[in-house]
This record gives sequence, C-alpha cells and structure tokens, in this order.
Amino acid sequence: MGFGDRGGGRGGRGGFGGDRGGRGGGRGGFGGDRGGRGGGRGGGRGGFGGGRGGGRGGGIAKRGGPGGFGGDRGGRGGARGGRGGAGGARGGAKMTVEPHRHEGVFVAHGKEDYLLTKNLVPGESVYGEKRISIEGADGAKTEYRVWNPFRSKIAAGILGGVDNIHIAPGKKVLYLGAANGTTVSHVADIVGPEGLVYAVEFSHRSGRDLINMAKKRTNVIPVIEDARHPHKYRMLVGMVDVIFADVAQPDQARIIGINAHHFLKNGGNIVLSIKANCIDSTVDAATVFAGEIPKLQEQHIKPQEQLTLEPFERDHALVVGKYVRNK
Amino acid sequence: MLVLYETPAGYALFTLLDDGKLEKPDSIWKSFETPEQANKTVKLRAFTKFENTTDALSAVTALVEGKLSKNLKEFLSKEISEKEMKKESLIVGDAKLGGAIAKKLNMKVLSDSTTLDLYRGIRTQLDSLLSGLSSSDLSAMVLGLSHSLSRYKLKFSPDKVDTMIVQAIALLDDLDKELNTYAMRVKEWYGWHFPEMTKLIIDNLAYAKIVKKMGFRSNCSTSDLSDILPEELEQELKEASEISMGTEISDEDLENIHALCDQIISITEYRTQLYEYLKNRMNAIAPNLTALVGDLVGARLIAHAGSLMTLAKHPASTIQILGAEKALFRALKTKHDTPKYGLIYHASLIGQAGPKMKGKIARMVATKAALSIRVDALGETETAEIGIENRGKVEARLRMLEGRPAASSSADRKAAGNAKGQKKHEFVASSSYNTSTDSTVKTAVSEKKRKAADSDSESDEKSKKEKKEKKEKKAKKVKVEEEAPKEEKKEKKEKKDKKDKKDKKEKKEKK
Repeated sequence: MGFGDRGGGRGGRGGFGGDRGGRGGGRGGFGGDRGGRGGGRGGGRGGFGGGRGGGRGGGIAKRGGPGGFGGDRGGRGGARGGRGGAGGARGGAKMTVEPHRHEGVFVAHGKEDYLLTKNLVPGESVYGEKRISIEGADGAKTEYRVWNPFRSKIAAGILGGVDNIHIAPGKKVLYLGAANGTTVSHVADIVGPEGLVYAVEFSHRSGRDLINMAKKRTNVIPVIEDARHPHKYRMLVGMVDVIFADVAQPDQARIIGINAHHFLKNGGNIVLSIKANCIDSTVDAATVFAGEIPKLQEQHIKPQEQLTLEPFERDHALVVGKYVRNK
Repeated sequence: MLVLYETPAGYALFTLLDDGKLEKPDSIWKSFETPEQANKTVKLRAFTKFENTTDALSAVTALVEGKLSKNLKEFLSKEISEKEMKKESLIVGDAKLGGAIAKKLNMKVLSDSTTLDLYRGIRTQLDSLLSGLSSSDLSAMVLGLSHSLSRYKLKFSPDKVDTMIVQAIALLDDLDKELNTYAMRVKEWYGWHFPEMTKLIIDNLAYAKIVKKMGFRSNCSTSDLSDILPEELEQELKEASEISMGTEISDEDLENIHALCDQIISITEYRTQLYEYLKNRMNAIAPNLTALVGDLVGARLIAHAGSLMTLAKHPASTIQILGAEKALFRALKTKHDTPKYGLIYHASLIGQAGPKMKGKIARMVATKAALSIRVDALGETETAEIGIENRGKVEARLRMLEGRPAASSSADRKAAGNAKGQKKHEFVASSSYNTSTDSTVKTAVSEKKRKAADSDSESDEKSKKEKKEKKEKKAKKVKVEEEAPKEEKKEKKEKKDKKDKKDKKEKKEKK
C-alpha cells in the first residue's frame, strides 16, 4: 500500500510526516523510512518503511533494496482496506516463502513482502489476518498467517532486526499481557505443538477473546488473572524458558521480576516491550528506557539488547534480557 | 519439614529431607539441578488426585482466593497425624493460604520469601518427583483446568452489574447523537416545504410531532396542535403557514419525511425509558455517588474507570480530572497548569459555582465523591446518607465562599438550575440535565419502582420523611453557621482578593 509517497526519502530517517493515525483513525499518517539502519545489523537487510493510518491489511511494497519491509496499519478494528478479505494474498502464484533467521518465522516474497508464521489451525484466521497457502514440492499444502508488525510488538521487533527473540519451536513461554490473543496466536504458531504458551491477561473483556482463541490451539493455556499476583496461578504454570511481557504498567519491571522469580528457569530469557508513556509521560522516551534498565537489573535480569519499535510504534522499546538468578 | 505443592492434577505433600537447606535459600537450587539430586532433597510423601474437573475447579478457586478448601483440609489432616501437626511445620506457597491452614489445623506454617527457591526447585523437577503422574497427563489437566477456571472467572465476573451501567450510558450518548442528526435531517428536509417552522419550533420532538400531525403545511390551520404547543406558538405557526415561502412537495416525499419523524419520536421515547433505567440502576448500585453528583455524571465516572470497584480505588485527585487525561498529560509534558476538572465539571454543584470558584468546588466535590464511591463500593449500607450529607457540606461551603447572604432555600436554586439546563437538552423536557442531578430527594419514588421486590414501600416512605427532616435541620444549621463566621469570612475574602491581585501582577510581570 502506498506509503512511499509519504515520509522522507530513503537513506536517512524519514521524518514524521504528520501525526499518528491508526488507533484513533482519521488523523493523518506518518511515513517513516529507515534506510540507514540495515548497515550494521544483518548486512543487506533494507530499510523499513511504514505507513500508518491507511487501510489495514496493506502489505509490504517492494522497493529497490532487498527486502525492504513496509507495513501498513489501519485503525484497530476499522474496516479493512487494501486488498480486501482474508486470503486476498492467497493463490498468488508468484508468492514464495522462505524461513526467517528466527526459527519458526517465515517471510513471503511476492508483489508485497510479509512476515509469516505457520498456521497451527489451517483454514482459520484468528483476527481477520490474511492467510497464505503454499504448495510444497511433494504437493502438500502448508498454510501461513500474515503477522502484522503494526499490531504485534514481537513482529515489529523482528522486523526491527532484533538479534534473538528466544521464542522458538518447542519452547515454553509465559506471555504476560496477552490481551485478545492476537500475538499469542502467532507465538503459539512459532512454538508449535511441542511448545507451550501460558497467556496471562487480567481484563475479562479481552480474556473472552483469548479463551476463544485458546480453544482452537491446545498449546495455549489461558490464565485470567492479575500478573501482579503470580501465586494465584502458581498451580497452573510450570517452569518456562522465556517470559514475554507487554503489560504497559508503571511497575512493569517489578511485575516481570516476580513472575521470573516464580516461573523462569535460571538462564532463561525475558523479552519485554516498554511503552514510555505508560511509565512516565513527562520525560523523554529515551530517559524512560534508560531508567527501566537498572530496575530490571535489580530483578536479576541482565539486559542484552534494546531497540526501539519505530516506525511501527511510537516511543516503544523492546528489551531482551537474560535471567541470571544463580551463577 | 513438610512442603505443600499444588498441581493441576491434585495436591502433593513432600518431605524436606534436610531442614538445614532452608537456612541457605540461595543455594537450594543446587540441590535441584538433576532429578537424582532433587529426589535426595525432597521426597513425595502423599499425593491426592482431584476426582474430576469440577472437583479440581472448586479446589483451585479456593486456592486462588487463599482459602482452605474442604478437600485440602481432609488431605492434610489425613496425611499428617495429630502428633506430627504439633511438631512439624508445613511450607505453603501462598501466605494467605498459610494463615488459613495455621488457624484451622493448628500447625506451624512457613510461607515467606525464603521458600521461593524451594518451590522453584520442585517446579523444575516436578516430573521426576511425581513419579506416579505422567507429564502428558499433567499437561492435559492444566489445559482442562485453565479453560474451566477462566470460564468460571468470566461467568462470575464481579463487575457484571457495572457493565450494565457502562453500556447504558454509552447507549444514551449514542442515542443523543443519533437523535440530533435525525432531528437536523428532518428539519433540513421538511424545511424546504415550510422553512419558517424551523425557526419557530426549536424542540426536536415537538417538530417531529407537528410534522407527523399536520403533514402538508396547508393543513396547518385546520389541525389542532394544542397538545403539542402552547397557544401563542400555535397561533404564530398557523400565521406563518399562510405566508410560507416553501416549495411544494409530493405525497411520496411526505411519506418519507413521516417515516423519519416516526424514528425520532420512537427513539426519543426509548431514550426516556433508558434514562429511567439508568437512573434506577445508579440509585441501586451507587446511591451516595448519585446523591452527590447526579446519575449521569456518576454513570460517566463509573464508565470511565471501568467499574465501580476500580473507581473506588482511585484517589480524589484522579477522580477530579477523570476525563481530562489529554489535557492533563499535555500540561504535565509542557509544564503548564494541570486541568481543574474533567467529567465532574458537569455535576450541578460545580455548575452552580462562579467561574472563579469552579476549580475549588471541583476539588471538594471530587474528595466527597471519592468518599461516597468507597462507601458505595465497599460499604454495607444501601442508603444515600453520606452522599446527601456530603452534598450539603459542599453546598454550605459554596455559599460560604461566594459570601452569599443566608442560603436562599436550595429548592429555589434548583429551579434556577433547571431553567438553565433546559436550554441545553431541549428535546425532552423531563430529561434535562439538571433535574436529574437534583433528583436525589425525589429518588424515593423511583426507588419504589425498582425495589418493588426487595423492599416494602413503607420503609421508603419513612426514608423520604427522614430525608426531609434532615434537609430542614441542615438548612437551619447552615444558617446558624453562616451568621457566626461572617466577619471572619470578610477578612478572609479581603485577604484572598489581595492575594489574587498579587498573583495576577506577578503573572503579568512574568509575561
């Protein structure tokens, strides 16, 4: 979808061409173009451009460089624009799927590029996302679901070039702040039938959708409980390899810490998204991120990597850390 | 030492073989590195399976709440003999549950942070420690239990009553919006036929009713509109219809306009009905809040917080600016003054205050609202005593601040408030904003309707009387208070004025 006409030119960081559209809808979008990034990390990976405020379901327009990703996100829950209904991208003869550097994640190359996960429940979309069916060499069909970086912080992190997401096939994941289960469904796709996702969500309204999603995926354990009180779900959750947290609370470092103390194995990993505005809206985002790091270290979490989620989210950071309880 | 460990399949009781290990919690993990080591550290003493999912569900809900369920009590008293109970101590994962066990079974219970590492260890090696239970069984149990537990949680959601209010107030706003667009449309449409009427009939409902009744404007002089309009207005309308400059329309056009009018009339009717429902619900759920700020503002506050319980957890300062988040965060960011009021601005108490006093009164109303909400959410009583009392206090304070001579009876002011309010919401006179806000004294009537089942009308009558008496008393009190500190007040006021002036000067200078 069109975003190339917005935003700055390639190479430098494209300035924000306006306000943030998206959730509220109606407002103008911004076109962020980020070319300079690719150099350091991952070599030839191109820039990421994103347009916001357009119709959802837009894809990734291929531009010059190899694998330039762009995503387009419309309002949450807004009418889907772009190429219409689910499966719009299906049947594209030109579509080829390749495994991504991260195990369990795939990339589709075609007219537009998509980030994908292998659908654990073929034939069904969870939240109206597109599905892509690819016929293998032996004639067996594999179905993938498109993973929208504007709706999922993990996907945004992957496109942002995070070194290691630690979520891989067979892993056990504790997912704090599961919300409606959109990202959880992709995480469940990645860990596969051998893995397990414990999805914790406090809101009853969101929990309803989460449970419905979990009905179809038996590797998701829904837990409707406050993540501040891990002892309330101590009997349900076993030891896990990774904790992913998207709780957006001022005391999130503490929340993640106590959950790690209860359930994360020694040497396990933590991936968390920090929304600067939720912690302190009066100071600069970078200051907030810097302030969170020592709080994590207090909880025996050794930060390994940090990246901002622009252009997909504003003032968000993804932090990857390692839990070292005993040496 | 014994360790109680809860699994989704049942309760497990372990024996800690070496009590000394607990003294060095930092190195417990070493004893759980391999299954063999773990089996040397703790030994499974007993395990009881839940009979079925219902059994498991009831057991786990009790665990979540930190209560000692029946089957846990049975399990513990069966496995641990009386003698042992006096000697041994039990390690429990949840402090609250630990307290309950200690109390009911008379045992020594340990449930502090030192046990965390022990539980981590057991959790890591659970498969090897629970020899009788295969891990696939366990995962099947987890899945089943987690689903039934979450479903149970949603089914017995504590804020289901509040959701009704949240939805109702949202629908009310939607209806108002819809009604306005429809009314504008019908005025625009019919306006081509009879443009003079738009100016004459402001009220949307009356407009729709008239259009419905008379059809073409030529019928105006013959139709009787006395039940919709006052006499003078009817006369004026009839005169206007004679000399109208509107275009002619066909029967078909009129048919469609009539259909739209039907919509307006029926939606308006439904709106009054919905409003009545909301009022009753608010009086039942949050009587004190309703008494203080009125049902609409009260409902909006609850809707904004999500539920009454979350609202009760907010401090007064938050309640004061609820609904003005955007302005607040902008102000915080740019280091300007934060907003003085949010949703609470529409409370009639604040509407009564002069422009200079609004911020101050908003703060007072917010503090009193916070108290009232907490009584509503957590208190035992069902009456609006505290709300009414607080309202009286704020009113007295308002009068004092404005230095008005002894209170004109509050009824008078209410009438004045009504007149003001009617301009805002013209279409239904009965649902104008301020009437509702001040309806606290009258609520007994609607309460009667609502509580027909659970309360006899007698008590309502009584409460009505009581309220009246109280009001009178209060009015007297206020008068007495008012006279005494009058002089003081004057001084204060002068001082305040000076201060204000100073502040202003300073500000100007800064600029």
